Amino acid sequence: MKKGHRRTGFVATCIVPATLLFIVFMIIPTFNVFKMSLYKWGGYSNKKKFVGLDNFQKLLGDTKFLQSFQNTLLLIVIVTVITMSMALIFAAILSREKIRGQNIFRVVFYIPNILSVVIISAIFSAIYDANNGMLNSLLSLFGKGDNPVYWLGDQKIVIFSLAGAMVWQAIGYYMVMYMASMASVPETLYESSALDGATRLQQFFQITLPLIWTNIRTTLTFFIISSINLSFLFVKAMTSGGPDGSTEVFLSYMYKQAYTNSSYGYGMAVGVVVFVFSFGLSAIVNLLTKREPIDL
Amino acid sequence: MKRKLSMALAVTMVASMVSGTGAISVLAEDAKTHEGETLKVAAIETAYGADMWTQVCDAFTELTGAAVELTTDKNLEDVIGASMKSGDYPDVVHLATGRPAALTETLIKEDGLENITDVFDMTVPGEDVKVGDKIAGGFTESSLTNPYGDGENYLAPMFYSPCGLFYNAGLFAEKGWEVPTTWDEMWALGDKAAEEGIALFSYPTTGYFDAFFYSMLYEAGGSEFFDKATNYEEGIWDTEEAKTVFDIITKLASYTEKSVPSNANNDNYLKNQQLILDNKALFMPNGNWVIGEMADAPRADGFEWGFMALPAITDGGDRYSFAWFEQMWIPAAAENIDLAKEFVAFMYSDTAADIFAQSGAVQPLLGFADTLEGDSKLYYSIYDDGAKVALGAFATTDAVEGVSFADTVFGTVNSLVSGDKTEEEWIEAIKADSDQLRAALK
Repeated sequence: MKKGHRRTGFVATCIVPATLLFIVFMIIPTFNVFKMSLYKWGGYSNKKKFVGLDNFQKLLGDTKFLQSFQNTLLLIVIVTVITMSMALIFAAILSREKIRGQNIFRVVFYIPNILSVVIISAIFSAIYDANNGMLNSLLSLFGKGDNPVYWLGDQKIVIFSLAGAMVWQAIGYYMVMYMASMASVPETLYESSALDGATRLQQFFQITLPLIWTNIRTTLTFFIISSINLSFLFVKAMTSGGPDGSTEVFLSYMYKQAYTNSSYGYGMAVGVVVFVFSFGLSAIVNLLTKREPIDL
Repeated sequence: MKRKLSMALAVTMVASMVSGTGAISVLAEDAKTHEGETLKVAAIETAYGADMWTQVCDAFTELTGAAVELTTDKNLEDVIGASMKSGDYPDVVHLATGRPAALTETLIKEDGLENITDVFDMTVPGEDVKVGDKIAGGFTESSLTNPYGDGENYLAPMFYSPCGLFYNAGLFAEKGWEVPTTWDEMWALGDKAAEEGIALFSYPTTGYFDAFFYSMLYEAGGSEFFDKATNYEEGIWDTEEAKTVFDIITKLASYTEKSVPSNANNDNYLKNQQLILDNKALFMPNGNWVIGEMADAPRADGFEWGFMALPAITDGGDRYSFAWFEQMWIPAAAENIDLAKEFVAFMYSDTAADIFAQSGAVQPLLGFADTLEGDSKLYYSIYDDGAKVALGAFATTDAVEGVSFADTVFGTVNSLVSGDKTEEEWIEAIKADSDQLRAALK
C-alpha cells in the first residue's frame, strides 16, 4: 500500500509539470480561439461584442475563404501524394540498391530540411523568376524562350509552383524516416523472396511497404497537419497570397482577416474551422489507412 | 552660497533678456513643469532610422523635464501589440495606416484613439506659435487625420512624401523622348517604347495603386468627386468620372510589363522596381523613399531619377501628386494624455523638425520644403511646379468581415495585367464591396 502511494506520488510529480505546460500553452489558447470566434473584435481595443455564431455564418458565404479552402486542399493533396511517394521511392533506392555516392545523396536530400523556409522561398523565387530564372532559361533551350512562363504570376500555375517548393523542402526528412524503418526490415525476407523469383518491384510492394506501414501512417498524419502550417509560411514568403488572392491558404487568410482587416473574431472563426478540419482530416486518414499490424 | 547662486541666475537672466540670445533657455526653464513624469512613446523605425527619435525624445525631456520611455522597432505592432491586448498602452504612438498588421486602422475602427483636435490650438512647446498655424493646409482636414469626417482630429500628420511616377530621366534624354503630360501622350509613348522592347509601366506591388488611384479620382472629378467616391456613395462607380479612371487603369494594365504580377509581393517587389533601373519599363508609381531603397542596385548607364505627377486626363487638365504621410496618435486608453498631447505639439517645433529633417524625414510644415536642398528639394517642390496635392483615403467603416476593399480595388490590378479578370468584373466587385462598406460607415 505504502509502495503504491509512493508510486502514485512519483507518477504525479512526473506528470504535473508537463500537464501544467500543456494546459497553459495548448488548452487555454485553444479554448480562447473558440471563445474569440464568437465575438466581433478588432484585436487591440477593449471593445468586444458577442455575436454568437455570426462569424461562422459569414464564413459560409465568403467566396475568398472558400477559395483559400480550395487552395489548401489542393496543396495538401498534391504535396502529400508527391512528397510521400517520392520519399518512399528514394528511401527504397538508397537503402536497397547499391549506388555510388549513396551518402552524398542522403545529405543532399536532407539539406532542404535544415534550411529556413525564407531561404527556400528565396531560392525558388530565383528559380521561378520569369526573366532570369533557371526554369525559364532551361525551357528556352527547347525553344520556349519567346513566351516565358510566369511561374509566380500566372494564376493557373502559381499554386503548383508553391507545391514544388514545398515538396522539395519536405522530401529529405521523410526519406530519412522511411530509410530508418526500412533498415529494420529483415534482410532474410528479401533473400528468400529473391529465391522465389520476386522482382524488386514486387519486393517493394509486398515486403517493404507492408512492413513499414505503421510508420507511413504516422508520418502521413504529421505531414498533413504540417502542410497546413508550412503552406502559410511559403505563401507569406513567396507570394503574399497573390497574385490577386490566387494563392491564399487557410492561415494566410486567417492572418489577413484577423489583422489587416481588423476582424480578429472572424479570423479566429477561420482558426476554429482549420482546427476542426485538421482533426477531421487526420481522423479520416487514420481510419482509411488502418491495417492489421504485421508481426514478424 | 545660495545668495550667490540666485544672484548669478538673476544676472544671467537679465543678460540673456537684454541680448535676446537666451530667450529659449529661459522658456525651457519655465516649461520644465513635468519633472518626475514619464511618457511612453512608441515609434515605428522606418528608412529614416531610430536615432532621430532618441534625439527628439531627449530634446523633449530637456524642454519639459519629463522622462521619455521610447520604444522603436521595425515591427512595432509585434512589440506593443501584445501589451496593448492586455490593456497596457503607450501614451503616444507614431505608426502610419496602411501596414499589414493594421493596428492603427483597428483602433480607428474601434474608437480607440484620443481626440487631439485641441493639440492644434496649443502653443508649440518652446515657441510662441500655435501648432495649427505651422501645419500646411489640407493635412489636418484630410480623412487620414480626421477619420470620422466630423471635423475632429484623431491623428496628427507627420512625415510626408509626394507620390507620383518615377522614371529614368537619362533614358528620355538619350532617346529624345518627351515626358508625357497627358494620358494620350502616355499611350503614344507606350507604343513607341514597345517597338524598342521597353514596356510603358511597372509597379512594385498593387498596394502602390492607392496613391495612384486617389490621384486619378481627383483628376477625374476633383475633390467633390473624390469625397463621394471615398465615402462609397451609391452609384458613384457608375459615373462617367469613375469610368474614366477604370478605363485608364485597365489600359495601363495592358501596357504593363508582363512579369510584374509575378513579383508584385512583399518579398520580390524590388525586381519590379529594378525594371526601371534596367530600362525595361518606363514608369512606376512610387514615393521618394524608392531612391534610398534602390541606392545600391545596379542601373543602366546614364541613369538619373526623374519624377512627375500623374499625367492629366485632358490637355491642360489638372495633374495630381498624392501626398502620402505618416501619422502620430494617442490611444484613448493612454495614461498620460495631457503630457502626450504636449509631446505631439512638440513634434511641430523647429527643434524637432530639424532633427527629423537631418534623417530625411520631412513634416508638412509651412515653408519648410523651401529650406530643403539637393534631391529632396526636387521631390518636395513638385507642388510648386503646378501639380496639385491629392490627400485622403477611403472613409473609415466598422470592420466588415471578409471584405478587404484595398484587395478588391488595388489587388485586382494583377488580374487585369494577367488577363484573369475583365474591367467589368473589377467594377462589379468594387460595387458589391462598396455596398457593404457604405452600410458600415462610421
